[in-house]
This record gives sequence, C-alpha cells and structure tokens, in this order.
Amino acid sequence: MTQPFKDTILEEAISWIESDQQVALATVVQTWGSSPFQIGSKMIINEKGNFLGSVSGGCVETSVITECVELIKNKNSFKKIDFKISDENAWNEGLACGGEMTVFIEQIN
Amino acid sequence: MKIEILKEIIKKKSSDEQFAVLTNLSNGSSEIYKLGIPLSKNFINYKNEIENYYNLKKSGIINNTEILIQNYIKPIEVIIIGAVHIAQYLIKFLKDLNFDVTVVDPREYFTTKQKFQNIKIINKWPEEFFKNIQSNSNTALITLSHDPKIDEPALKHALKKKFFYIGALGSKKTHDNRCKRLKDEGFNDKEIDSIHGPIGIRLGGKSAPEIALSIVAQLVSETNKYKNL
Repeated sequence: MTQPFKDTILEEAISWIESDQQVALATVVQTWGSSPFQIGSKMIINEKGNFLGSVSGGCVETSVITECVELIKNKNSFKKIDFKISDENAWNEGLACGGEMTVFIEQIN
Repeated sequence: MKIEILKEIIKKKSSDEQFAVLTNLSNGSSEIYKLGIPLSKNFINYKNEIENYYNLKKSGIINNTEILIQNYIKPIEVIIIGAVHIAQYLIKFLKDLNFDVTVVDPREYFTTKQKFQNIKIINKWPEEFFKNIQSNSNTALITLSHDPKIDEPALKHALKKKFFYIGALGSKKTHDNRCKRLKDEGFNDKEIDSIHGPIGIRLGGKSAPEIALSIVAQLVSETNKYKNL
C-alpha cells in the first residue's frame, strides 16, 4: 500500500541535488482502467538517466526516463505525459495491462 | 518544483499530521496545504474543491481542473498485543506494507530487544497502555497472547473505540468462550461479530510465518475496504 508518509523518494531527491546532480521528479497524477500504480507514485531521474522509484510495473519507465533527461537538457520546468494503449508507440511505451495513465514530470530547482 | 517546497514536505512528514501538496499542472507551481491555511493566487479559485478533496482524503486531479492534490495521511496504526513468535513475522509484513506498528506485552521476558528491532515495544498491561495513547477508528488491533487477562482488556477498548479492524488469535472454541465473556460484560452481538476470530483468512498453514501471512492478508483486505468507504 502506498503511504506517502513512509515513502523516502523525496529525501533521496534532496541528497542527489546536494551531490550536484540535476533531478526531475515524475509523479502519477491520473489513472484509468487497470493501470497498476496509484496516484502519487513517484520516481526521480537525473541528467544521466539514473533513476529511483517507479511509476508503473516497468511498462512506461523507459519513456519517462527519456522525457526527463530531455526536460533537464532543454531546461524546461514541467510536462504532462499521457500513456495510452492506443498510442502509435503502444508497442514501445503502451501499458500492456490495457490501462491508461498520466505522469507529470517536473524539474526540481 | 522548488527545492524549498520539497524540503518543507519532508519536514511536514515528520509530524504525522495530515497535509496536502497542491500542484497546478498548467503552470507547474506547487504549495503545501492544510485546512485553514490561505491559498495563493494559483489555487484560490479552487478553494472549495480543494477543501472537499482534503476532507475526503482523496488524491488526484480535481474534476474539470488542472489542479493536482496529493494528500499525506497519517499511516494506519496496528497494535499487536502479545510479543509472541508470530508477532515477529507479522511485523516484517506490516513494515513493508507501510503500517505503523506497536507491540504491547506486560511480560518483559517476551519482549527482549533482540527479537524486535526498530519497533515500538511497550511493557505495560493493555489498560495502562491505552490510557496513554490516542486511538480511534483509524487503528487496528491484533491480539496474539490468547491469554484472556492480557487480550481482553485490549479487545474491549478496541470495541468501544470502534477500531476498523479487530482480530483475535485463538481456536474456534477459545473464541466462542471469549465471545461469551464479552457478552456477559454487556457487548452486543453486532460488536462481538466485528471481531475477526479465529483471526486470519483460511490458508491452512500452521507455522508462525503462515499464520502471520493469513492475518496480514485479512488486515490488508479490511484496510482497503475501510479506506474506500
């Protein structure tokens, strides 16, 4: 069960920043159908694509990491990404479970 | 998100009191919210909706808006009566599932620190323990001592405070006797039926970790029902 009081991902984000890494935070903000992760599930990603935490059962992590690395590189502050099974990239980044989800990514600065 | 907000969230988490993090998904701004704290211009137009989600302890994007609310709600407290062998396995499961755990047992020789690391162990009789803590429906009770003089004061307290989950270890016969005693003490059938006894779902196992698993499965199922009320 997700319990934000017990999740230590934000503490990890601070320690990454303190060791001079650039960090983006990805959060599940909306889900439909059988998407496995709850709203509020989080993942942090640095400029090299290293990550911690998760936003799905591994289905969309790769895309989220790529998007976050881009976000950091382009110095953008945030982006909302919708993942749907009907996307043309479904094979690569669709949720095999048939669910849909929206992930909000933002740079921490 | 500003690093200052992130640090403030971490600070707030240490208090165990409910708060929420608001994010305006159309401009990326975030702030911390608690009931009664004034909202900034990014969120003030949604005051009623935010309050409503906060009170319902609901997280997500508020309908027809770009406002995300993430509620930080105090973890559910599980009180275990009886620092017995099963409790050791139970604690492992409960920690991974993000419950707060307290073990109460007046018998000091049952609660040596080696057996229970990083866990709140209270060497008191349940009556005395409950006098000093705030407990409410957001609490679960698991009695494992199957000694009536340790378990039953805790069960009575949990029934009065309407804990959302009450489970008592013991055979069917032990439980029937327990129910009779509670009835004699004035508890009604509905209250007595709310006790899960014998505790746990039917797994068929007899070892301590199997019993712990059957208890934890029942607790998680009841917790999810309770949270979706």
